[in-house]
Amino acid sequence: MLSALLRFSSDIDLESAEDIAQDTFSAALVSWKKDGLPVNPEAWLFKVSRNRALNKIKETKRFSNKMTEVGVSPEDVVVHDTPLDDQQLILLFACAHPDLAPKVQVVITLKYVVNLKVEAIARILGLTIDGIDKMLLRARQKIRDERILFHEPSAAALKSRIGSVHKILYLIFNEGYKSSWGKELIREELCEEALIMTRALCKSVIGNHESKALYALMLFNAARLKARFGYNGELLDLEEQDRTLWDRDLIQLAMANLTAARGSEISSYYCEAAIAGLHCAAERFGTTDWNTIIRIYKQLLGIQTNPFVELNYAIALYYGGYKREALGILHELEKQAFLGQYYLLHASLGRIYAAEGNKDLAGRYFRNTLELTNAPDEIAFVQRLINKME
Amino acid sequence: MQKFMLIIKEDLAELQQVSDGERQRRVRIMTAWVESLQESVNFLGGNPLQVTGRTVLKDRVISDGPFVEAKEGISGYILVDAENIEQAAAIAQGCPFVQEGGMAIEVRPIFTIVQTERITNNAP
Repeated sequence: MLSALLRFSSDIDLESAEDIAQDTFSAALVSWKKDGLPVNPEAWLFKVSRNRALNKIKETKRFSNKMTEVGVSPEDVVVHDTPLDDQQLILLFACAHPDLAPKVQVVITLKYVVNLKVEAIARILGLTIDGIDKMLLRARQKIRDERILFHEPSAAALKSRIGSVHKILYLIFNEGYKSSWGKELIREELCEEALIMTRALCKSVIGNHESKALYALMLFNAARLKARFGYNGELLDLEEQDRTLWDRDLIQLAMANLTAARGSEISSYYCEAAIAGLHCAAERFGTTDWNTIIRIYKQLLGIQTNPFVELNYAIALYYGGYKREALGILHELEKQAFLGQYYLLHASLGRIYAAEGNKDLAGRYFRNTLELTNAPDEIAFVQRLINKME
Repeated sequence: MQKFMLIIKEDLAELQQVSDGERQRRVRIMTAWVESLQESVNFLGGNPLQVTGRTVLKDRVISDGPFVEAKEGISGYILVDAENIEQAAAIAQGCPFVQEGGMAIEVRPIFTIVQTERITNNAP
């Protein structure tokens, strides 16, 4: 089995392959001890894995989970109990162990579900390879020790993890979205992976309204992927983007999912998606429906009181014409210890004062921003704003 | 999701002697960490606390009370949402200053009364 794994997947290193093989057998032992040996164990394993492989091929051709092709996975043994029949989703839920920090959940998902190499993960997240290895080791130990998915593969157990799963997908999409022009093609692929997994989640029995809202949010953002960078690779914001480059089909699909996501409870993903949708619906920056956006931010603040959301709310207020209120909030945020050192707060104040024609204040806030961030894209962006002003 | 308070503990005597520039540098590092919290779990709020204050007891008010001598005095707090206390603790452990060794964080769940299901007469 070990060599079969290695033969079929160049992405699995020896240690992982050994782990998988061992996990499969020990998990099989657990299940067979509990339920008794199936009449023909090998045939059972084979039948189960072959059915799932067929389903997999039918579902998504693009996604390549090599372990499924081989028909070997620790999750095979719980197939008859779990309502999920998507191999990738089951793995994803396994990675969403609630005791792990979200960042660790993302790392193990990128490794075992998206099949990225450790070097790629380290590069994307801006961490060291050593750091990633340590996270993987600790996480694997935890999952092995607890084996929650093996013992309780019920719909209830899966449901309890869906919040974490949404968060992982959201974070992966975000990582993909923050990219440097041309340098990291892998980042657009990350967005795609997140989209594919979220779509599968929506179509599965365990997906809920929040899943659809998350999917809509991703689609609205993905629609704008091609327009984010200018001719020289510079970062463009909503005001500057060429809206003819926005993908109308994705926007339409997003709208459909947003509508389908309406339920009795409004999630923060729903609010974020609705706001993204309002931006996508506007022909020009100037015709954006700011009043509705403002209303949604108020709702979002009701769900999570949070200075970062307040910052975005204040920006919306400004563009909606409520300048005094906007500046009031922003200057209050400036007094908060953490937000006061947040580069986007200063960048926003810089832009507002530049728009108001106050070059001195604008210049001061732009200079603050440059002091507070190391990201080359951001620095170049602010530098452009300064140049535009002078 | 549950709410937690992360009580930040450091050597307050050391903190008192730190220059303004160094203090600002540390806050910036915390802000960057807090920003990552916001992305992954929801940062609800928080503040550093000044290294000065009072301790109040029944019959006296102590200025610069015992908290200044403590190696682990409270230097600030952060409020977050997290799945459970294990996750909150795992997140707290990721704080750069905790990793460096100069800071400890006490993670406390915020006491909430569990809502029983409300029965309404009119369905939404």
